[in-house]
Amino acid sequence: MNTMNHRERIITVYLFAVSLIVLYCNSILAAEAPGPQRVVSLAPSVTETLFALGFGDRLVGVTTYCDYPPEARRLPKIGGFMSPSLEAIVDKKPDVVIGVNTATDPAKAREMERLGLKVNLISVASLNDILAGIKSVARLMGSSEAGEKLVLKIERQFSQVKKRVAPAPRRSTLLVVGLRPLVAVGGKNYIDELITLAGGDNIAGNAAQPWLNLPDEYVVAKAPQVIIEAGMGSERAAPAQHWGDLKSIPAVKEERVFSYPSDKILRPGPRVGEGLEEIARMVHPECFAESKPGLKRRNGCEGSRP
Amino acid sequence: MAVKVLDRRKMIWVNGLLLALLVLSIVGCTLLGPVRLDLSQALQNIFSANPDAEILFRARLPRVLLGVAIGGGMAACGVVLQALLRNPLACPQMIGVSGGASLGGILGLIFFPHWLLPIAGGLLGEISWVPLAAFLGALLSMVLIYRFSLFHGRLHPYHLLLSGVIFNAFIGAVIIFLNSIVDFYQAQGLLFWLMGSLSTRAYLTVGFIWAYIVLGFLWLWTKGLSLNLITLGEEAAMQLGVETGALQRQIFVASSLMIGAMVSVSGMIGFVGLMIPHVMRLVVGSDHRLLLPASFLAGGIFLCWADTLARILLTPAELPVGIITAFFGGPFFIFLLYRDGAKKLAL
Amino acid sequence: MNPAIRTENLTFAYKDKSVLNGVSLSVERGEMVGVLGPNGSGKTTLLKIFSGVLRGQGEVKLNGRSIETYGKRELSRVFAMVPQESQVLFPYTVAEIVLMGRASYHSPLALEGKRDLEVARASLELTDSLPFSDRYLHELSGGEKQRVIIARALAQEPQILLLDEPSAFLDLKHQVQVFQIIRRLNRERGLTIVAALHDLNLAALFFPRLVMLRDGRIYRDGSPREVLTEKTIDEVYGIRVRVEKDPSGEKPQLFICPSP
Repeated sequence: MNTMNHRERIITVYLFAVSLIVLYCNSILAAEAPGPQRVVSLAPSVTETLFALGFGDRLVGVTTYCDYPPEARRLPKIGGFMSPSLEAIVDKKPDVVIGVNTATDPAKAREMERLGLKVNLISVASLNDILAGIKSVARLMGSSEAGEKLVLKIERQFSQVKKRVAPAPRRSTLLVVGLRPLVAVGGKNYIDELITLAGGDNIAGNAAQPWLNLPDEYVVAKAPQVIIEAGMGSERAAPAQHWGDLKSIPAVKEERVFSYPSDKILRPGPRVGEGLEEIARMVHPECFAESKPGLKRRNGCEGSRP
Repeated sequence: MAVKVLDRRKMIWVNGLLLALLVLSIVGCTLLGPVRLDLSQALQNIFSANPDAEILFRARLPRVLLGVAIGGGMAACGVVLQALLRNPLACPQMIGVSGGASLGGILGLIFFPHWLLPIAGGLLGEISWVPLAAFLGALLSMVLIYRFSLFHGRLHPYHLLLSGVIFNAFIGAVIIFLNSIVDFYQAQGLLFWLMGSLSTRAYLTVGFIWAYIVLGFLWLWTKGLSLNLITLGEEAAMQLGVETGALQRQIFVASSLMIGAMVSVSGMIGFVGLMIPHVMRLVVGSDHRLLLPASFLAGGIFLCWADTLARILLTPAELPVGIITAFFGGPFFIFLLYRDGAKKLAL
Repeated sequence: MNPAIRTENLTFAYKDKSVLNGVSLSVERGEMVGVLGPNGSGKTTLLKIFSGVLRGQGEVKLNGRSIETYGKRELSRVFAMVPQESQVLFPYTVAEIVLMGRASYHSPLALEGKRDLEVARASLELTDSLPFSDRYLHELSGGEKQRVIIARALAQEPQILLLDEPSAFLDLKHQVQVFQIIRRLNRERGLTIVAALHDLNLAALFFPRLVMLRDGRIYRDGSPREVLTEKTIDEVYGIRVRVEKDPSGEKPQLFICPSP
């Protein structure tokens, strides 16, 4: 340092300071924009996603059906699921409006955009879509990291369930959301994928429609081993009541008819992983039996019968 | 007299033929479906838990029988209403009672009294609550329309028709409103009411409806002669000996009750009541003493096959039967019209 | 002997408008009466009250019994009405239409019997309608249709035949034909006839008794010569006519004298 003359010392300090400043600016630029502060959600699954990502405090408007987490119930309401009030939305002055493309049709979205709102619709047609949707919402909110983390958590839940039911043979399953008329989950439906992941085989999975009315004779002929009634609201009758007279159906014979109104199964949001576990517990209860104390833990499903 | 009049022979032949066709249709429609049926298996072990037997006797047969009853009932009510309202375009959907039944059913679906279940248990379970609510809706609307159309103790066809149409429009608006506020899953139930479905496994319901409709039809059949006369005009009918005031009231109440019961159980199945009477008029003539039973039987045959198509067309999905009746009924009717001329149908 | 029809101070009002104001009329069995008067004088209303379609205030007696004691079915065996026009809603054949006249003679649950068919046939023959008994009513001309309706009325085997302007939509030939049939029925069978008429000349030629209505009251009641005077026509119809005799010299005929 003694050899450096006074001029060289100043240049070194100067260069050092400049590189510090450059590095600092880079890191600022590399960090993302803070993201929208006021968000309106048009669907319960979107609301759940926003809360799960940690952005629940930025919600200024939700639908009347948004009831999870409990804090969501206290948020101001902007209307129903299929029919949100445009006025209420505009009134909240959101930075962005997030919905699902099955509830909000493009025409409605265009209307909102014409009113000056920024609208973002995500698809929930398949599990991939749901996960991609979570990521895109996270990105939109300014934190891709949170999105990646949440998706990873869900994927872990998926693989855990998959592992548990792997030893058991597939069980033919019927999942209905309505009894009168009988509305079943068909193909091209994320719930169909959940059933497959849970070790089941959707008897209406080959259908082209995601939801369909099934005639009773089809159910009898396909002889499902598990029937899950996941509908909401008025369909809370005792499960055996509706199917009681069709004793040839294995699900009825072996008492594997579950009436389980559940948002976890029916909402294409961050709880699908938990929903998958619920379905798996119904399709393969033997794979979730707690082992008896004192016995070595068996790696497999207890006495699985096909 | 060498002129064409209704005589015993014609009555027996026409009705006998149609009855035979009906029986064949019942058998045929029970054997047909989206699923292959092993008949021998089905017939061998009827009472054991045998899938073929269950498909035949529990899934298909009740539906087919219900279709026959409802098709027949709708057609008979169509004949009777066309005479009562003196309008060839009258049909069961038009007098507002079916709208009231639909609304009652939908409200029953939405506001299902969960608290009632533990009290009434199985009897008033979900299965019977909704049809009951629908029937109540039908009764209420019948009373409303009756009061609205009553002038000087007489039910004027013009007012009946008008109030029915207005009532239906109002109900339609309410239903659309409800559709916009219910969730996705309840919206499916709404569709059922608007398009109809014969899906049932309850022999009790089918039996009850059969008894109800057959009795209603038989009563209407006894009024066949008076129905002929009333189409000549109210005054002409009076001058030919008909107590028109009483007849109009009785027919309105009887057909309303029948329609209310039918819609309560199977939703709104349209076109049968409009089309079958006209088709049968072309085939057997306008004398109601033959037209009524012929339409009753033909309506049963038609709906039976329509429901079979509803089951088969878009396997594994099941279409609402109301779509089938409209889809096939409409063009067929136009074809007939074109062929035999509008004159013969007095249109 | 009780007169066939007898009314005592018959009044009828439609909403606020008074149509009949105290009509007292007596028609004997076998009479042939023509009811005249301008539109709105109450002709049609009178016939409707007789046939039980409308109910007025005041007494109406039929064969000595109040008309209110008759049920519709019984009444239709006494009165038969031929209205001005008949609506055709559904396609019925002529035979079916005429047989409907027999509705009160057999049980509603039974089909027509032999006697019903005979009476219908005879009625068709009488009105020259037998040739088109297989055709549909809406296919016929106005005159043919009218004859069929008369046949239906005759099939009711009534004691009293009411006709509301039976020649209103007919051409001259058929007008005369209809009146000739009516006159024959009256002379050969003793059928009591009450007809609302608008053609004064034809009324004068065929009807032995005329009743002239004005503003819901009987203005004149008597033979054509008594009723059809120049003064009466002027006061009731408001037109000037000249009354002359017909070629046979017995009946009056009117010649219209329009103002120049």
